Amino acid sequence: MNSINRFIARIFRGVFPALAIAFALGSATLPAGAASATYLYQNQPIVFSHLASSDGVTMVGIQDPGLRGLLKTLGAIITWRPGRRYVLITTAEPEVISFAVGDRNYDVGPVTSQASVAPFARADDVYLPLDALLRALYLAPKADGSRMVLQPQLGSIDVRAAGTRAKLVAHAGAPLAARVVAESATRIVYEFDGVGSTLERHRTIDAGGIRSLDVTASGSVAAPKTLVTISLMSGATHGRIHNSGGNDFEVAFTGASSAAYPHAVARTPASAAPMPAPSITPGASTATGAQPSPPPAVAGPAQVGAVSVTQTSNGSTVTVAISGNATYQWHRLRAPDNRFWIDIQNAQLTVPPSVQAEVNPLLSMRVRQNDPATVRIALSLVGQNVLAVSPSATGLSITVDNQQVADAAHEGSGSIGAVVSVSEAAPAVTPVPPEDYGQGSPSWKFGPQSTYVPTNPKLIVIDAGHGGSDPGSERNGTKEATLTLDMAKRLRDILIARGWQVKMTRTADVDVYQPNDSARDELQARDNIANDAGARLLVSIHVNAFINSGPHGTTTYYSKPEDAPLAQYVQRDVATDAGTKDDGTVKSHLYVTLHADMPAVLIETAFLSNPDDYALLVSPAWRQKVAQAIADGIDQYTQQYPVPSTGGQ
Amino acid sequence: MRRIALLVVVLALVAAGSWWFFAHRTQSNGTESLTVYYTKMDGTSTGSWNVSMRPQQPGESSAEHLKNMVLYAAVQSAAGPPSDVEAIRFPPGTHINGVSVNGSTATVDLSHEVTQQVGGTFGENGEFKGLVYTLTGVPGIDAVQVTVDGQKLETLPGGHVELDQPLHRSDF
Repeated sequence: MNSINRFIARIFRGVFPALAIAFALGSATLPAGAASATYLYQNQPIVFSHLASSDGVTMVGIQDPGLRGLLKTLGAIITWRPGRRYVLITTAEPEVISFAVGDRNYDVGPVTSQASVAPFARADDVYLPLDALLRALYLAPKADGSRMVLQPQLGSIDVRAAGTRAKLVAHAGAPLAARVVAESATRIVYEFDGVGSTLERHRTIDAGGIRSLDVTASGSVAAPKTLVTISLMSGATHGRIHNSGGNDFEVAFTGASSAAYPHAVARTPASAAPMPAPSITPGASTATGAQPSPPPAVAGPAQVGAVSVTQTSNGSTVTVAISGNATYQWHRLRAPDNRFWIDIQNAQLTVPPSVQAEVNPLLSMRVRQNDPATVRIALSLVGQNVLAVSPSATGLSITVDNQQVADAAHEGSGSIGAVVSVSEAAPAVTPVPPEDYGQGSPSWKFGPQSTYVPTNPKLIVIDAGHGGSDPGSERNGTKEATLTLDMAKRLRDILIARGWQVKMTRTADVDVYQPNDSARDELQARDNIANDAGARLLVSIHVNAFINSGPHGTTTYYSKPEDAPLAQYVQRDVATDAGTKDDGTVKSHLYVTLHADMPAVLIETAFLSNPDDYALLVSPAWRQKVAQAIADGIDQYTQQYPVPSTGGQ
Repeated sequence: MRRIALLVVVLALVAAGSWWFFAHRTQSNGTESLTVYYTKMDGTSTGSWNVSMRPQQPGESSAEHLKNMVLYAAVQSAAGPPSDVEAIRFPPGTHINGVSVNGSTATVDLSHEVTQQVGGTFGENGEFKGLVYTLTGVPGIDAVQVTVDGQKLETLPGGHVELDQPLHRSDF
C-alpha cells in the first residue's frame, strides 16, 4: 500500500512539477513587506528587516543583517550561495540545520521536522519560516510587555541509560549555566539559569539510578529559569556537572543495584511548541527510527579486549577476550608464505593495537582495528603448522601446534557469543593477502618488499622535524624543533656507532630550504636530501600535539605500502622500550613520506600537549631511549628486508 | 483497430510508468541516509552517525542532487559529532565555503580556520580521514580534493598531510 501511495505521490510530483514551481514563484512574488521586527536576545536588539509573508507566516531572508548577527552571536555558521536550494546552518552545538527551497521539511541534526510553509527563493535570497528557524535554534519569541524577547529554550533533555549507569544530557539555545539548588538522598534539583522550557513536565525513567525527572519553568520572560528535578532510586549516586561552557550540560548517575536495567532512552518531548529533539548518539540511524544508544552500548559491536599468547608443550595458544556477539573469518596462505589472519567482524578493539615478536611456532603477532567494524589479528608462523580456531561465548582461542601439515585448511569462519559456530574449508583459490602483508614474500613480513634500490645502501637519512622559522608545536617554551633535533642527533650517533652512514636534513635550528618558505618547499627539500643521496631509508622524527591534553603516546605514520614494515618495526621498538602508550602505526597521506623514493616513516614520539608525555619529552634519558629504540627498529627492519638485488645491507 | 491502438497506448503508458517508478524508487532508496564519519581519539579508528538526506526532488537534476549530497555530507563532517562525543575535530570555526563535483572527485572548499592547527600529525590525519571517509561514502564519489578559501594548498602551514592531490580512503 505504501508503494502505491508513493507511486501516486511520485506521479503527482512528476506530472505536476510545474504546479509546484508556479506555487513557489507565486510565493516569491509576495510583497516583501516594509515592516521590520525587533527582538531582544540576551538584552541586545536583533532587528529583522528582510521579512516577507507566505500564507500568513513570517519569513526571514537569510541575507538579513539581523539574522546574520543573531547567528554570529549564537556561534552558528551558515552555508549557502545564491541560487542554491539548500540552506545549511551549523550551530555551536555542533548540529546541522538544513532547509531546502520548496520543502516544508527541515532537519535539525538527524531529526526531521515540518514547518508550516516551505522556504522560497527570491532574487539572491532564500526566505525561511521564522518560527521554524527560531525553533531549530532553540529560541522562542515571547512577549514581554510591549517588547518581543527571543528566549533561549532548553531544547532537549536526554537520559541515556545502560545497566546501572545513566547520563543526563541537556542542550539549549544559549550557554547553559547550571547549578544544584537542592539535594537529598532521594532527589537532586538542577537550576538552568537564562533558559525557558516547553519540554514535557514529567518523565518516568526507572533506569540508571533515575526514577523520574520533572521540568519546571520559572523566572520572567527576560530572565527565565528552568528547574529539572531528578528523583533518585535508593542508593543512587551522581557525578559532577560537566559543562564545557557551551550549550550543553551533562551529568552521570549510577544506580546502587548491580541488577541490569534494560537499556532505556528517554527524551522529554516538548508539549506546547515542539522543539526538534536531536538524536545525539553517533551510530543511531534516524532513517530507520532507531533510538539513540549510550556510548557503552549493551548491544552493538562486540568488544575485543586482551589478546594474549601462552606457550604449551605442543606450541602456542592465542587467547582473545571478546564480549558480545560477532562473526569471524580466518585465512592462511600456502607455503612458503606462512601467514594467518583472522578478521573479527562487528567488533571494536578496546586495547591499543600491538605488534609483537613471538617464539616458535609463532614469529610474530599483530592486533589492530582493521576497519571501523573489523578487528584483525595476524600471525606469522614458522611453517604450515597445525592450527585450530575455537570460538566460545567469551572469545576465541587460536591454537598453533609445533607439528606441521601439508594440506591444512586455509579458510574458516564462525561466530562468537550467544551463538557459537565454526566451519573450515580448503579453498580452491589462495586468498589475496591483506594489503599490509605483501604478497609472495617467503617468510613473515610486516609488508611488501620495496623495489627501490638505494645507490647508497649504507646511508640512512634522519629528518629532524620542523626547525628555523617553523618551530612546530610549543609548550612552556619547549619547541618541537628543538626536541626533534636532539633525538635526531642521538639517533645519528647510535647508528654511526653501529656502522651506518647517516645524513641529517638539518643539524641546527634552521630551515632546510629557506626561512619562511612554504611547507611544501621545506618538506620537498628534506625529501630531496634523501632522494639525491640514494639513501636506504628516511626517518622523520616529530613530536605530536593536539588541542587538548587527552591524546598521548607514540605513533609511527607511513604512506606507501613499502613504508609499512619499517613503521611496524620502529613503532614496536619505541613503544616497547620508551614506555609510552602504543598508538600503533597509522597510514596517512603525508608529504614527507610520500615524496621519499625510499621506505620512509614519520614517527610522532609523544605528545607535547599531554602532561605525562611532556615530562618524558623533556627528559634527556627518555630521548636517548627513543633514539635507541628507533635504531633497533631500523636494524631489525634492514635484517628482515635486505636491499633488493644486492642480497643484504 | 481503434481498440488495438488504445491498447498499445495504454501498454506504453504502463511500461513508461513502471520504468519511471522503479528507476526513481531505486534512486530514492539509495540516498535517504548518509553516514558521517569522524576519527576517534585513538587517532585512527572511525566512528560514524547517520543523517537523513532528501531523495532527489522533482526538478533536481542528478548532478545537482549529487552536489547537494556532497555539500550536506561535507557540512556534517565539518560540524563533527555532537560535542559530548570525543572526536578529532577541525579547528573551531572551520566551515564549508562550498563544494563542487567533477566526475567522481568532490572538491570541498574549507574556510581558512582549518589552517589554525596546533601541530602534530594526529589532528590533521584525523580531520581529513573523517572528511574523506564521509564524502567517499556518497554514492559516485571516490576522491576528495581539499581547497582552503578557494586555493589549492600543498599542505597546511607547517603541515603534514599533502593536500594538492585528491585524497582517497586508501590514503588513510
